Amino acid sequence: MERRSDQPVILASRQELSPSCFALELLCPGPLTATPGQFIMLGPTAGADPLLRRPFSVAGVGESPRGVLVQLLVKEVGKFTSLLRRLPIGSELSLLGPLGQGFRLLEAPPRPVLVAGGIGLPPVLFAARELSQRGIPFDLFYGAASSHELLLPQEVKRATNGLAVFCTDDGSFGEQGLVTEVLRRLWQKSYSRILACGPTPMLYAVAQLARERQVEAELSLEEPMACGVGVCLGCVVRLHDGSYVPSCQAGPVFLASQLAERW
Amino acid sequence: MVTVVQLATQVGSLTLRNPVLAASGTFGYGLELVDFCPPEALGGVVTKGLSPRPRAGNPTPRIVETPAGMINSIGLQNIGVEAFCTQVLPALRQRGATVVVNVFGETEEEYATVVERLEREDGVAAYELNVSCPNVGKGGMEFGHDPSSLDLLVRMLRRLTRRPLWVKLSPNAPHLLAVAEAALAAGADALTLVNTFRALAIDAKKRRPAVATGFGGLSGPAIKPLALRLVWEVHRAFPQAPLVGIGGVLTGEDAVEFLLAGACAVQVGTATFRNPAACLEVVQQLQAFCQREGVEDVRELIGGLRWR
Ligand SMILES: Cc1cc2nc3c(=O)[nH]c(=O)nc-3n(C[C@H](O)[C@H](O)[C@H](O)COP(=O)(O)OP(=O)(O)OC[C@H]3O[C@@H](n4cnc5c(N)ncnc54)[C@H](O)[C@@H]3O)c2cc1C
Ligand SMILES: Cc1cc2nc3c(=O)[nH]c(=O)nc-3n(C[C@H](O)[C@H](O)[C@H](O)COP(=O)(O)O)c2cc1C
Ligand code: FES
Repeated sequence: MERRSDQPVILASRQELSPSCFALELLCPGPLTATPGQFIMLGPTAGADPLLRRPFSVAGVGESPRGVLVQLLVKEVGKFTSLLRRLPIGSELSLLGPLGQGFRLLEAPPRPVLVAGGIGLPPVLFAARELSQRGIPFDLFYGAASSHELLLPQEVKRATNGLAVFCTDDGSFGEQGLVTEVLRRLWQKSYSRILACGPTPMLYAVAQLARERQVEAELSLEEPMACGVGVCLGCVVRLHDGSYVPSCQAGPVFLASQLAERW
Repeated sequence: MVTVVQLATQVGSLTLRNPVLAASGTFGYGLELVDFCPPEALGGVVTKGLSPRPRAGNPTPRIVETPAGMINSIGLQNIGVEAFCTQVLPALRQRGATVVVNVFGETEEEYATVVERLEREDGVAAYELNVSCPNVGKGGMEFGHDPSSLDLLVRMLRRLTRRPLWVKLSPNAPHLLAVAEAALAAGADALTLVNTFRALAIDAKKRRPAVATGFGGLSGPAIKPLALRLVWEVHRAFPQAPLVGIGGVLTGEDAVEFLLAGACAVQVGTATFRNPAACLEVVQQLQAFCQREGVEDVRELIGGLRWR
C-alpha cells in the first residue's frame, strides 16, 4: 500500500478553471504516490484557522525535477478553499496522505464507464488517465451545471480512450440534462462497471441505475471529515447491514452493493 | 536553561512517563496512528469509550467545524469491550503503552460488565469512567450531573477493581463541585476535567442544526479557557485530588497552563485531528518549555498558578 506521510508542500501553480473552480499543483519534497480515488488532507502549516485540514481528491500525480507534483481541482465554497484561491504561489501548506481506498482499477472488468458530476471530476480524471495508460477501454460521462462550470474539457477528452460525453443542465455545452439521465439514454450493454464521483443525489441515481442494469458501481463519497485517518468517526457512512464505517478508511470509494440505499 | 528535565508524573498511585495522554475518542483504540505517534511514547492513551457490546453510534452528519473548535455527535460508536480485549489490547501491551480504558454504559450494570471483562486482562493501567458524554440518550451525562447516582456508580465499581478509577466529569453539570466531591468520596482515584461542552451550530441556509442530533459537544481551543477555569476551581476546592486536565490543548505551553491550574497530567484531543503527531509534539514542546524556563521536574508546575 502507498505509505502515508505528513509533509510540508509548496503551492507551485494555480490555474483558474471556472467562476468557482481552480486547479492547483503542490510540490512535495518527500515521496508521495497515490492511486485514483485516494485523497489528501490539506491545511495551513502555521496558525490554527481553519483548525482542521480539508480533504481533497487527488486529480493526478506527476514527477518534476524538484519533486512530486500533486494536482488538485478545487471548488471555492468556504474558508479554506477561498484561502487556497488567494494564497501566493510559493506558500507552504501541510499535506497528509495519500489516504483511503481508491477505485479498484486492477479488478476493473472489460469495459468500465466513468461518471463525474461537477467538482466530482478530480478522482474520475485521475482514473481515466490511469485506465488509458493501462490500455483498458472505457467511456466517460461528465456533467456540470453549465458550460462555464465544465472543467478542463480538453484534458478530459485527451484522457479518455473511448467516448467522452459532456452534459450540461442548461444545454449550453454537449448533451442537455443531468449526467445520469444522459448515461441512461446512451447506456451500452458492454458497460460492466460504473466508476463515479459527484454530488450525493447524482451518486444515488448512479447506484439506482447500476441496480437496474445489474452491474457494480464504485462510488467516491464525500462526507465531512475531521481527521482523515479513522480516529474521529465523524465521516461514517451506512452500509446495508446498518453499521457505520469511516469513509476516510473504508472509502472514500465504496462498492454501491455494500452501501445502504441512503448512506 | 536545564538540560535534563524529569517528565514523569503521578496521577494518584499511577506513574506516567510524561504528563501527556491521548484523549478518549480522538486516538482510536491506540494503534491507528502508530506511524505518527507511537502510543508508548506518551504518558498514556485513553481508548475510545467502550461499552459491553458494539454500538453503531449516531446518524450523520456528526461533525462540524466552529470558530477555533468543532462540534461532534458521534454517539459512542465503538467495537465493544470483547473485541478490544482480543484484537487490540495484546498489541498495546506488547508495545508497552500505558493504557487507560474509557468505560461507558447506559446503566450501572453495563459499566460493571465492561470493567469485569477488563479485570481478566493484563495491561490496563486505569479506568476512566465517561459519565459526561453529551451525545447519548441514556447513561453519559445522567451520572455526571447527579451526585447521588454517581456516588452509587463509583462505589459499585470500586468494589470490582483495585485499578485506579478516573471519573471524567461533565462541564455541563450544574454543580460540578458537588459531583466532584461525590466521585472522590465514593473512591475515585482521579478526576478528568473536562468532557465536551453541550453546544449548537446552525446551518443558516438550511435553517437546521449542523449535526444530525441537534446538540453536540464542543471541543478544541475554543474551550480551553473554560476548561482551565473548571480545573482551577476543582483544584482549589480539593487540593489533594489528582486531576487530569483536558480541553483545547494544541501546544506544550497549553499543557503547562493545565499543570499550573492544578492538573497532574493533560490529555490532547481535537489537536490530533489536525495533526496526527500532536500528542508527541506536545510532549516535545513541554520538554522544551521546561528547559527554557529552568524547570527541572514537571511536577514543580502542578498547581503552581500564582493567583495573585
Ligand atoms: C474524500 C473527499 C474528497 C474531496 N475532494 C474534493 C476535491 O477534489 N475538490 C474540491 O473542491 N472539494 C473536494 N472535497 C470537498 C472539500 O473537502 C470541501 O469543499 C472543503 O472541506 C470545504 O472547506 P472550506 O473551508 O472551504 O469550507 P467551509 O468553510 O468548511 O464550509 C463552507 C460550506 O461548504 C460546505 N462544505 C464543507 N465541507 C463540505 C464537503 N465535504 N462537502 C460538501 N460541502 C461541504 C459547508 O457545509 C459550508 O456550507 C472533498 C471532500 C471529501 C470528503
Ligand atoms: C470526535 C470526538 C469523540 C469523542 N469521544 C469521546 C469518548 O468516547 N469518550 C469520552 O470520554 N470523551 C470523548 N470525547 C471528548 C474528548 O476526550 C475531550 O474530553 C474533549 O474533546 C475536550 O478535549 P479537546 O478540546 O482537546 O478535544 C470525544 C471528543 C471528540 C471531539
Ligand atoms: S475523518 Fe475522522 S474517522 Fe474519518
